[in-house]
Amino acid sequence: MANLKKIFLTGMPNVGKSVLFNRLTGAYVTVSNYPGTTVDISCGKAYIMGENFEIIDTPGLYTLMPITEEERVTRHLLLKEAPFLVVHVVDGKNLRRMLPLALQLRETELPLMLVVNMMDEARALGIAINKLKLEEILGVPVVLTAAAQNKGMGELRGRIHAYRRI
Amino acid sequence: MPIVEYDAAIEEALKKITRLLTAEYRLSLRFVALLLLQGDEELRLRVSILEGERWPEIQELIGQTERQYAQPLNYVITMYRQQKANQIAAQCVSEQAKGNRWGEIISFYTMWPVTGVPILLAVLYLGLYQFVGRFGAGVLVDYLENSIFAAYINPVVDQLLELYLPWEAVRALIGGEYGIITLGFRYAIAIVLPVVGTFFIAFSILEDSGYLPRLAMLTDGIFKAIGLNGRAVIPMVLGLGCGTMATMVTRTLETRRERLIAAFLLALAVPCSAQLGLIMALLAVHPAALGIWIAVIGTTFIAAGTLAARLLPGEQPVFYLELPPLRLPKAGNVLTKAYTRMHWYILEVLPLFVAASALIWLGKMTGAFRSLLTLLQPLMGVLGLPPESAKIFVFGFFRRDYGAAGLYDMMQTGGLDTHQKLVAAIILTLFVPCIAQFAVMVKERGWAVAGAIGAFIFPFAFITGYTVHRGLMLLQVILE
Repeated sequence: MANLKKIFLTGMPNVGKSVLFNRLTGAYVTVSNYPGTTVDISCGKAYIMGENFEIIDTPGLYTLMPITEEERVTRHLLLKEAPFLVVHVVDGKNLRRMLPLALQLRETELPLMLVVNMMDEARALGIAINKLKLEEILGVPVVLTAAAQNKGMGELRGRIHAYRRI
Repeated sequence: MPIVEYDAAIEEALKKITRLLTAEYRLSLRFVALLLLQGDEELRLRVSILEGERWPEIQELIGQTERQYAQPLNYVITMYRQQKANQIAAQCVSEQAKGNRWGEIISFYTMWPVTGVPILLAVLYLGLYQFVGRFGAGVLVDYLENSIFAAYINPVVDQLLELYLPWEAVRALIGGEYGIITLGFRYAIAIVLPVVGTFFIAFSILEDSGYLPRLAMLTDGIFKAIGLNGRAVIPMVLGLGCGTMATMVTRTLETRRERLIAAFLLALAVPCSAQLGLIMALLAVHPAALGIWIAVIGTTFIAAGTLAARLLPGEQPVFYLELPPLRLPKAGNVLTKAYTRMHWYILEVLPLFVAASALIWLGKMTGAFRSLLTLLQPLMGVLGLPPESAKIFVFGFFRRDYGAAGLYDMMQTGGLDTHQKLVAAIILTLFVPCIAQFAVMVKERGWAVAGAIGAFIFPFAFITGYTVHRGLMLLQVILE
C-alpha cells in the first residue's frame, strides 16, 4: 500500500462517511445511526478506473481546530501524510451547518473534493442543491451522492480518476 | 482571492504573520496564521519551535489583534466563516416545503403514547416473539438441532472418536455429553446462532428504518423514572439481543451515572436473545406462567432502576436526539448490518463456547464440577427444583445462554413441570451475567463496580426465585 495515492475521507459525524468508505473499498465497517461509532481509523484499497488508491476513513470532526481526541487524530493524519486528495463528505440536508468545516479545509489549500451526500433524503425534504454554482464558489469539484443507495458513486469515481489529469 | 474574507484588522494580521512563517507546514500559511489567531495551543507550540527567533514577533502580532476585539478571536473568525457559509447556502440551496407526508404522519404516531405503545407492542410481538422466538428459536433451532447435529454430526463425531481415540478423557473433551464439538459447537451453532441471527436481522430493520430514535422519544418518560433517558433505549433493546454487546454500547450514554445504571440493569433484568428465545419456547405454551415471568422481570427492572436512580447521586442529563426521517429499510443495508454483527459475534463468542466446554471438561475430570453440583443440590431442593437442575445454573456461570440451553434440554426430556420451569426461568433471567458480559463490565466499569453488581445479583436471583416458588405454593396456584 506504501506507494498508492492516498485519499482521505473527512467529515462531521453522521454524514454517511463510513458507508461511502465501504462503497469505495468494498470492505465493510459497522454503519450506525448513533454517534460515536467511527472511533477507529479504517484503511482500505479502492480500485478506481484502472488504478489502486489507498482510502483512509478519518474520525468525524466538527472543526480543524481540535477540541476532542478524535479531531486531533484527524488533523494529525492530514498533516503527517501527503494526501493525493481529501474527499470531504457533507450532509445534503444540512449544508449550511456543514459548510464552515468545508471552508476551513478549503482554506488549508489541501487538494479537496466535496461530496454532498444523503441527497436522497435531502430531495425527499424538498431541498435542491445547485452543484455548478457550488463548484464555482468553492473552486473545487463537487459530487452529489446518496451512498446508502449507491447513487452518484460512478460520478465520484470518475471525478477522482480525472482529478489533476484534465 | 481567499475563499473567506475577514475584516481589515484580521486580514492585516494574517498578512504580517504569513510573512514571518518560513517552515514547511503542509497547510497554507494563511490557515496556519488563522489557527494561531484562533488560539490553537498545539500549533502555537509547533510554530514557536520551528520559527525560533521570529516567534516573539508573531506572538506580538497575535496579542495586538486580540486586543482589538471584545470577543475571543476564535469566535470572531468562526462568525465570519459562518457568514460566508450562510451566503453560499443562500446562493446554492433552494428549499421548498415538500416533505414526505406519509413519513411525517407515521413518525408522529410512533411517538404519541396513545398510538406509540400499541405500535411498540406490535413491533415486539412481530419482531421478537414471532420472528426471533417462534421462527429463530423454534423452527431454525429444531431443524439445526434435530436434523443436523443430533442426526448427523454428533453420532459421526462420537463414532470417529470411538474408532480413533483410545483415551476416554480426550474423547470426553471433544465428544460425548459436554464435548467441545457435541456441546460447545452444537450450542453455538444450533441454538445460539439462529436466535442471535434472527434478532440481529430484526434489530437492523428497526435501525435502518429510523424507528429507534422515535422509540427513544416515546420511552424517555419511563427511562427518566429510572435515572436514565430515552437515549438508553438503544443499549436496552440491544441488550435483548446480546448483553455483552449492549454493555459495550452503554459508552454512548453521557454520564458515568447513566452508564452504571444501564450496565446494572442489563446484567440484572434484561434477558439476552438466547435466553429470551429459549424462555419463550419454554413458557409460550403456558400463558399464565409467561405472564408471571414478564411481571416479575418487569417489576424487578423498574424497581431496581428506580432504587438505583435514588441511591446514586447525580444530575439528569438533558436529552437531545436528532430524528432522521423514517424510511423503508433497504434489504442490502439490513443484511450487511446483521452480517457484520453476526460476524463479530461468531469471532467473539465461538472461542468462549469452546473455552467454556474445556472448562466444564476440566471441572468434570478433576471432580470440581461434581462437588459444585452437590453443593448446589440442596439449594435446588429449597427452590422446589429437581437436583439435576443445578447443572443449569453451573452452566449459566459460564454463559447465560448455556444455562438456558441446558434448561431447554431438560424440558425436551420432560424433567420439569410448569411451576418448576417458571422458577428456573426467573432465576436464570436474573442470574449473574455470562462470563463475557461480566468481563466487559469489568473493562468498562472496573473491578469494584462489576464485583458489587455481581454480589448483589447472585443472591437476589435465588431469593426472587424462592419468593415466587413459595408464593405460588402459599396461594395454591397450580400452573397448567
